[in-house]
Amino acid sequence: MSNSHLFLKSGFPRAPLQNGVGRYICQLQRITLKFCKNNGSSRGMREFIEKQLIDFAKENPGTVVYVKPRRHRTPVIVAEYLNGDREWHNCRNLSKEEITQWITLMKTQNGSSSSLRLRKMWHTDMPSIQGPWTPFTLKNPASNLVIFPNEELSKPLDVEKSATEKLIELFREQRLSEGKLEENRGN
Amino acid sequence: MSILKRTQQWATFARTWHIYDCTWQNPFDSAKVVKNHLMGLHKPIYHPMNDCGDHVVLINTGEIALPGDEWIKRVYFHHTGYPGGASWTLAWQLHEKDPTMVMKKAVYAAMKGNLQRRHTMQRLHLFPDDKVPEEILGNVTSQIKQTRVVPKRLDHIDKETLENFPAIMDYPKDYVLR
Amino acid sequence: MVFTSAALFVRARGPDEFWRKRRVFKLAAHFHGRPRNVYTFAVRAVHRALVYATKGRKLKKLDMAELWKTRVSASAEQYGVSFDAFKNSLLKSNILLNKKMLADLAIWEPRSFEALAQLSRERAVVEGMPGIQERSVMNQVYGLKNLLKK
Repeated sequence: MSNSHLFLKSGFPRAPLQNGVGRYICQLQRITLKFCKNNGSSRGMREFIEKQLIDFAKENPGTVVYVKPRRHRTPVIVAEYLNGDREWHNCRNLSKEEITQWITLMKTQNGSSSSLRLRKMWHTDMPSIQGPWTPFTLKNPASNLVIFPNEELSKPLDVEKSATEKLIELFREQRLSEGKLEENRGN
Repeated sequence: MSILKRTQQWATFARTWHIYDCTWQNPFDSAKVVKNHLMGLHKPIYHPMNDCGDHVVLINTGEIALPGDEWIKRVYFHHTGYPGGASWTLAWQLHEKDPTMVMKKAVYAAMKGNLQRRHTMQRLHLFPDDKVPEEILGNVTSQIKQTRVVPKRLDHIDKETLENFPAIMDYPKDYVLR
Repeated sequence: MVFTSAALFVRARGPDEFWRKRRVFKLAAHFHGRPRNVYTFAVRAVHRALVYATKGRKLKKLDMAELWKTRVSASAEQYGVSFDAFKNSLLKSNILLNKKMLADLAIWEPRSFEALAQLSRERAVVEGMPGIQERSVMNQVYGLKNLLKK
């Protein structure tokens, strides 16, 4: 069981300065390839340098490429990003293709992705179209003019009619019908 | 954070001041309603760890109506902490000493006992009558509906209505009216 | 002749003491004080932490469900509909949104939620469900109807 994420920085996926909207700036600023000229563990790296590095450098004028030979040590890629991140990657015994894949990844990401724990797998600048709920969303503007405490607003809804009210209603109906009867007699 | 987002944040988490009239209300039923507003349980954004509770102003707490014979049966316990420091006070006695206390304790008891409860209670403002200081009343923008209708007292009904009230039955001739 | 190999075999735990302890210390890296540095404390604390984590996996789901329920019922109450009536009438109208989505709608898209609330009210009235307050609640709410009016 691994707890390697315990002290990782956490964050959300984001594009710095709306990168990619309108213009794109490669976030990889500097890349250093360290390798040994003799050792077998650097074979893939040497192959990469011989066959692909020139093309890579030509295709990415925004990225500075350093090549640093050193004796009898593991090949390593160090990538430095525009946001200040420095990513160190061990390339011991990696083949040319694997190294190409790693470098493509570094070229396309905007920071060291392995040192960031993503809290969410998505991001939006516009979480709400209708506007988030506020206490004022459903408030009638007319309520600005009300003077508190207000007796009308205080009354509960859904009140059943009391016996008194029912009685008065019955009484009124009775009187109405009596009145009509009398009118009919008069006619 | 842009200005627009910032104002959106202020608007969503804005505190509202509610007023609640305790006249003739059962304090224990009212406490459930008041509690919801105090804790922010009436908002869709509620979360126990976000501070979204509102202020509630309770007026006329002196006019509350306890159900049944609770005025003489309900007992409030207090202990000073010293030996022999226990005391039991009947509800009517407590109400005589402080007319806001029964309502306050009802709201306090309606909430779950946690660290937040005493801070939430700070947002409750109680007044024994309808005399509320201007600076508090000025904040109020909403009224909470009462839990029951306030009945009209017989001596508050005008004479004309009383006289015109329909007679349900006629008294028997030998009925003695005193 | 004494046979000790069986007893020793039972006592022999793991390949190497250092790596066995390291496995525990890795899980205790974020603890405070002795549970972080002393193996006997660390192993107990890690054991307890793992038990909490196991229980927490279940509790987290229950807690979230409870929170969503509180939020949805609060938002439905704004329109005078109880939570049960709201959920049941949505179900009868064949709207199968879960509590999480309803809570999200209530917060982020309040007007869509209002449409759902209106729909559920109509449905609940037709079905004669309890838990519906008077229609006057809807009139007090400053809803879509007022917004669309010119």
